[in-house]
Amino acid sequence: MNVAILGCGGMGRLHAQMAVNCGLRVAVCADKVRPAAAGLAKDFQAKAMNDPMAAVSAKQVDIVVITTPTPTHKALVKAAAAAGKHIFCEKPFARTSADCRQAIAAADKAGVKLFVGHVVRYFQEFEAMRAQVQGGAIGAPGWAKLYRGGIYPGAPGSWFRDYGQSGGVTLDCMIHDLDWVRYVFGEPERIFCQALMRKEPVQVDYSQVTMRMKSGVIATVIGTWAHPAGFRVKMEICGDSGMVQFDSNDAPLSAQPRQAASGPSMIVPSNPVSVSPYQLEWQDFIGWINGTSTPRVTAADGLRAVEMAEAALKSAAKRQPVNL
Amino acid sequence: MVNIGIMSFAHMHADSYAACLNTLPDACLAAVWDDNARRGRAKARAFKTRFINKLDAFLASDLDGVIITSENVKHRAMAEAAAAAGKWILCEKPLAPTVEDARAIVAACNKAGVGLGTAFPCRYALPLMEAKAKLDSGEFGAVYAVACTNHGQAPGGWFADEELSGGGATMDHTVHVADLLRWMLGKEFTRVHCELGNQLHKKTLKTDDLGSLNLEMEGGIQVGHLASWSRPVSYPTWGDVTLEIICEGGVINVDAFNQKLTVYDDKAKRVNWAPWGDNPDLGLISDFVEAVRDKREPSVTGIDGLRATEVTTAAYASFRTGTAVKI
Repeated sequence: MNVAILGCGGMGRLHAQMAVNCGLRVAVCADKVRPAAAGLAKDFQAKAMNDPMAAVSAKQVDIVVITTPTPTHKALVKAAAAAGKHIFCEKPFARTSADCRQAIAAADKAGVKLFVGHVVRYFQEFEAMRAQVQGGAIGAPGWAKLYRGGIYPGAPGSWFRDYGQSGGVTLDCMIHDLDWVRYVFGEPERIFCQALMRKEPVQVDYSQVTMRMKSGVIATVIGTWAHPAGFRVKMEICGDSGMVQFDSNDAPLSAQPRQAASGPSMIVPSNPVSVSPYQLEWQDFIGWINGTSTPRVTAADGLRAVEMAEAALKSAAKRQPVNL
Repeated sequence: MVNIGIMSFAHMHADSYAACLNTLPDACLAAVWDDNARRGRAKARAFKTRFINKLDAFLASDLDGVIITSENVKHRAMAEAAAAAGKWILCEKPLAPTVEDARAIVAACNKAGVGLGTAFPCRYALPLMEAKAKLDSGEFGAVYAVACTNHGQAPGGWFADEELSGGGATMDHTVHVADLLRWMLGKEFTRVHCELGNQLHKKTLKTDDLGSLNLEMEGGIQVGHLASWSRPVSYPTWGDVTLEIICEGGVINVDAFNQKLTVYDDKAKRVNWAPWGDNPDLGLISDFVEAVRDKREPSVTGIDGLRATEVTTAAYASFRTGTAVKI
């Protein structure tokens, strides 16, 4: 099968490699930014295009990968579905839940497979955490605390820095944890959120969520794009007979290069795994297309995650809890 | 020599305060009174002082000040009696479980002209003092957001009896951090939303064992605070006080009690964290002894205790009503 990559930034490049690892061919790399499309296309011996919308209907393409800015997802999903292509859509599924619904309806109507890349469900540490909790290691779970983030992404002028487009850390980043909490602990009942969403004098976002699940479990989730550097993930699940924790800073490998003139460098901890979680989500997606498996995450899950993030942002604006 | 008495050893912090008094060269633990006479006698013996069985006799003795470490709901009656007897008072936190009681304690001390302090020893924890100094230096600019925790193990006993404690983990573990932030940022809390849980110790506790609070301070600073009795019995220490402070010019992280050794003990089959940092209680008790000697207000006042209680009671009101409420 042939793949078109729409949006040739970091995520587009990553998914191109995963597709190749799954035995697929990258046929088209499309990006409005000409050098981005050309660069990725050269590395994967693909055709470069500068209009993602036109690339959607390229004849030889079977699968469309959408790694463009969030607000463009809906139109691209609809166009790809209309062209009969299977779709891998990066998270967040879309900028609004209404957009997600339209995208799902389009895929259903066209009978194509629509996958939303909530990759955290495939991360080995998150799966190990889920196994501990569901295996009863801490008794009945009562409290989930999750933390994710680091530096504000994107250069000045990037769409990440426009809260209208990206939704800030809550919609773009914390959505991973909102989805995972629902995956493990079931449906949410209500959500309260505070989010900085600052532009001046420095652009920082810091989102603090308290969520009550229908099961009674409380989830406390922090998303940060307010740190000067780095990236960190923490989890802590408390149960009635124990507690289990994860911290990405407790890594088996870290390396710090010596830099002669430019001062101290950042230590980046590393957690190597033999098969990347991105590879696992691709295997799930391809298995679904081939009819050999059902995927761990559905478009409906992607929609629900956007609904949760939307409710969080609504709560932040109202300064009151929002029922889901 | 400043003579200090301890009223009730119901709260385990009394042991630390007694030890601090016995350490200070210019103060002494002069007497113990306890409404549980058996407990009071044993503690008086352990700390090499006298036990006075009758409250009247205790308050009529040559004490300059008292430390009240009773169950939360008894603070008011004891403080009113001690104030009427002209004793300087250091009251364990929370100053009281209700705003009404906290106000009454402050009023009684004002009327009697005695100093009143609230036991918030975190203000004397060096990592927190250094964090405040960094904020005060201006190097980090404006504070935008804070994420705090005050976790602990379930204390059991009267702490879990609402009739005596006035509430659970949120009552126990909100006021320290509320006071810290008021002190560090020089701003008051204005608003709170709170979810309470009781699912971690459902079988043994009737009170809440966790509170997940979202607060606002003057100037719109957003604050998340987690008050809990969530640390398992097997956890290597009692709990924590942590802050992540998001500022214009960077991020400050404090894990106030993270000066520790990790001890692997085969005999007990457990892992413990042994603290080696300075003891903040000593700073708290030293300040109180000085306040008594100099006839001044303790540095952390009754009003500070009242303000922290206002935050806690608003958090409970938020959960009851399912809305964010003004403080």
